[in-house]
Amino acid sequence: MNNPEIPQSQEQLLMSQLREILLKEDRHTLTELQRILDDKTLLSGRINPIIEEHFDYLKQNFPSEHTKVVNRLIEQKLKDSQEEIIAVIYPVLGKMITKFINLQFQLLKEQIDAQMKNVFSSKGMILQLKNKVLGLKTSDTLLAAVDEPVLEEIFVIQRDTGLLVGSAALYPSVDRDVVAGMLSAIKAFVEDAFERDNKEDLESIQYGTYRILIQNFPANFFAIAMSGSVSTAESEFFRNQIIDFIQISDDLRQSDIDGEMQERISLQLENHFIIPQRNKMTTLRLKSTTN
Amino acid sequence: MISKKVILTGSFGVGKTSLFNQFIHQQFSDKYLTTIGVKINKKQVVVDGEDISLLVWDVAGEVSQDKVPTSYFLGASGIVYVMDLSRPVTFNNMQNDLDFLKKILPNGEIIIVANKKDLFTDEQIEAIALKLPIKWDYTTSAKTGENVENLFLDMGKRLLMRNNIK
Repeated sequence: MNNPEIPQSQEQLLMSQLREILLKEDRHTLTELQRILDDKTLLSGRINPIIEEHFDYLKQNFPSEHTKVVNRLIEQKLKDSQEEIIAVIYPVLGKMITKFINLQFQLLKEQIDAQMKNVFSSKGMILQLKNKVLGLKTSDTLLAAVDEPVLEEIFVIQRDTGLLVGSAALYPSVDRDVVAGMLSAIKAFVEDAFERDNKEDLESIQYGTYRILIQNFPANFFAIAMSGSVSTAESEFFRNQIIDFIQISDDLRQSDIDGEMQERISLQLENHFIIPQRNKMTTLRLKSTTN
Repeated sequence: MISKKVILTGSFGVGKTSLFNQFIHQQFSDKYLTTIGVKINKKQVVVDGEDISLLVWDVAGEVSQDKVPTSYFLGASGIVYVMDLSRPVTFNNMQNDLDFLKKILPNGEIIIVANKKDLFTDEQIEAIALKLPIKWDYTTSAKTGENVENLFLDMGKRLLMRNNIK
């Protein structure tokens, strides 16, 4: 809106001066703001307290406000990504299993190495010679030495009745009268089921790392329960031990079993089979402690 | 103490295993009956102050059939033959079964048991007995335990007597 009494140039000057007066303070504020914005230190000094305050608030209130939502999200993510998770976990599990197997192999290797050293010693040479004479493989002898068989239990069972004649065990076990009966039942079942032209005798039962060696005689049969790897030579050794036992035990020639006789035979079995086994285990334990 | 083998036998489903379970605290599960067809347990009885150990072979299924290995019966000193009062069909094979058992175990003590007494009155049991050509020794109930202990005690007594005579 122009004033007709004031010339236009003067009017423009007055307007400019008025603008200067009115905007002076605003311009100062703007310049100050610009200065703050341009200076990083000044800007962070103003903004940081606000951000920190907000962080503090989140720290205090996040669990109560967002846990459920986060949990739901995680659950959903786990459901959606099962295959990916398995793919991530598998290599870790696989590594653990591989590590365990490697450790076991390492232990086996160390035992075999120790055996190999023995093989090339004078004692080992004699053993190899003995194996050659007996027709045994050195590898079998070495493996057998790594996992020595343990004679755990021995039973003498009357062949026609399945009644226990005597027994001895390294560790306490379930009722041996009943075990003797069940062993004869299993033996009878197998022999009847697979009977062909000739009546054959069941000679061993294998389950997992356990083996039951059966030695048949006209009146009785012996059953030896063993753990560990049993080589042919060791089976023969135990069978020979049974024959030795029969020769020294007069009670076995009796046909009627009574309690006293059962106790006597059990004691003889303990002395002939179990005590030597216990001594052998003690020696092995001492040896491994010394090594 | 002497030990003797006793066979528990009879037709299928007459309650042999229930009699056995009533009498003996079990050490092994019944699964052996369905696997190798026999389950063995032990019971010690005292007869006139003398201990006798009975090794009881609970043989599954029929008697004189090819299904059961004959060797299960061999060497037994006693036989408990069980029939079911509620199923007359179990009486039918009785004579044949007993003949077979006497043939393979000529010296065996045989006790004949009529089981499931709890399902009948005394009069009904008498009526059944009249129809049968063979008399039974004990009427038992595996359910209530009636006479079960007695029959095994009797078996112990008979075996001990026979053993002492010998």
